Amino acid sequence: MAENSAETWTQPGEQEAGISSNLWVPPEHSPLTVVAHSVRMRYKVPRTDRTPRKGLLGKLARRRHMVSVSAVRGADLTAREGEFIGIIGRNGSGKSTLLRMLAGVEPPTSGVVMTSARPQLLGVSAALIGDLTGAENIKMGFLALGMSPEQAEEQFDAAVELSALGEAIDLPMRTYSSGMASRLKFAISVMADPKILMIDEALSTGDAAFAERSAKKMDDLLEKAGTVFMVNHAPRTIENVCSRVIWMEKGRIVMDGDTKEVSSKYRTFAYFLAKERDEEAFQHLRECITEGAAQRKAAHLTLPSYKEKAPSDGVPELEPDPFAQIFEREMKAQPFPGAILPSDDER
Amino acid sequence: MANEVKSYSEVARALEARGQDPSGLFPFGGMPPLPEYLRQLWDRRHFIWYDSRRRAATQNTRNILGNLWLVIRPMMDAAFYYLIFAVLLEVDRGIENFPAFLVIGILMFQATSSAFSSGANTMRGAKSMLRAFSFPRAAIPISNVLQSGLTAVITTAAMCVAIMLVPPHALPQVTWPLLIPIFLMHLLVNLGITFITARIGFHFPDMTNLMSIISRMLRYGSGVMFPIERFVSDPTIREIVMLNPLFRVIDMSRTVLIDGAVPDMKSWLILGAWAVLLPLGGFIFFWRGEESYGRELR
Repeated sequence: MAENSAETWTQPGEQEAGISSNLWVPPEHSPLTVVAHSVRMRYKVPRTDRTPRKGLLGKLARRRHMVSVSAVRGADLTAREGEFIGIIGRNGSGKSTLLRMLAGVEPPTSGVVMTSARPQLLGVSAALIGDLTGAENIKMGFLALGMSPEQAEEQFDAAVELSALGEAIDLPMRTYSSGMASRLKFAISVMADPKILMIDEALSTGDAAFAERSAKKMDDLLEKAGTVFMVNHAPRTIENVCSRVIWMEKGRIVMDGDTKEVSSKYRTFAYFLAKERDEEAFQHLRECITEGAAQRKAAHLTLPSYKEKAPSDGVPELEPDPFAQIFEREMKAQPFPGAILPSDDER
Repeated sequence: MANEVKSYSEVARALEARGQDPSGLFPFGGMPPLPEYLRQLWDRRHFIWYDSRRRAATQNTRNILGNLWLVIRPMMDAAFYYLIFAVLLEVDRGIENFPAFLVIGILMFQATSSAFSSGANTMRGAKSMLRAFSFPRAAIPISNVLQSGLTAVITTAAMCVAIMLVPPHALPQVTWPLLIPIFLMHLLVNLGITFITARIGFHFPDMTNLMSIISRMLRYGSGVMFPIERFVSDPTIREIVMLNPLFRVIDMSRTVLIDGAVPDMKSWLILGAWAVLLPLGGFIFFWRGEESYGRELR
């Protein structure tokens, strides 16, 4: 099973088409759109100690200390045109941070992100500009995305239609519910025809009527050779639409591959956790991490070794470069966060 | 036998080695090169214009009197300072039209002081826009200054009417159109200041607390309420005051509006130099922090 899946993960495009009729199937070969190479994100945040203290010294000592939080600890991934990629994981597993780095909103602490176009990120933040009406926000958003006033005028009606806000479109945006606001933002972002769309749980607040419309619009995008990323902690939302799933835990990618396979593994994990069977849950997670190791290794970009770059004229060298061997060093496997996989060093 | 990949070009080479084509990819999320940045900014000109217009229109909508405050407040300031500096301290001796002197000083000062204080908050205030859309971040301070420029057009017009009405009346003269180049240079100076305070204020929010002190220093150092030349005897301090762009703006406006004379060459040169160097330097300074404005700080 492990060998079999490791094969399919490197080539997500070559999966069997008939998993489910409504599932989007990406084309077999298409240009790359997003490449992330060992991106990391660390935040320095103040931590306040809550434990009660005794004595004068305890009272005077500092309670706040800066600690470093690793939100994403080195993720590698490549995405191609026409892929619909879901990112799942528990709360705080680094899904949204990864997405923000891919979208270019927050630069990674280290690592490289390359994209073929400017990604459009849809987040769950509140209103854009609360004092403006929905219609004015649409216009403003279009212009911010670089449209000319004429283009903005042309697209305006379609955006109003897609947002399905009806009369509310002329009310100030601060009066909107979170679902209405995210619908409006979705409409603005999608009407600008982004090549790369990234959705951060934004659509989970929309109702059924809107879900239908947004799904249709996203299919259009994918057909026009776009790439869509979607973050959600609920596997069901992802299973219904995505062609590939990335499961994240503690800032690292556990598995990356076929929707059905990865999301069912994640479901099992989430099920154990929900039933408070932590021991089994982490046992399962360990197995999945081991299973995903081959894929992670394959996804990690490495330079071709120096030998391959020998002069092409075919004349053999009298003396091989003695320094080349010194610089070639074995890359150490990066251990997974110790809390989950204590046996990592032994492997 | 792995060789660690670090830079963009190495990523491209590693992809090539795998038989994947990296040609369509470009680094993203960092600081774009300056020409590209300027081009993107030019593409957003409609956005900047729309944003500044709506900010100018909505800045006082939560007040009952709305944008009338733009005129009422400086007039109240002027009346208050008139009471102190003319009636109580009597510094107005030797100035033939002290009311006009005061009104011009206060209105001109107001535009620059708001460039300082609102500049510091502007990037945080625009957070939801910054997170929702990626566009050259310099669009935000620019539209901020344009907004205050649009406001200043109204207040300057009100100012001209006010100095005509209040005795001793300063009547329109042929030199009044010279106010337009002074106004534009003043706007450029404010733009430079906003670029600088926007970046500092984003990384160092405590600066808002220092703003009131800076604003006060500027108020007294630019001769807003009294003829500063008369009170400064030390030649070095006098030179510094003379180089202060805001002092120049106020002084030149007074020359043009009250005295009906053309300001001397030295004034034009000093203000012109500030109007070129401040926005340029400020823009470069702001652009170098470009990648950081989307970050979650504190």
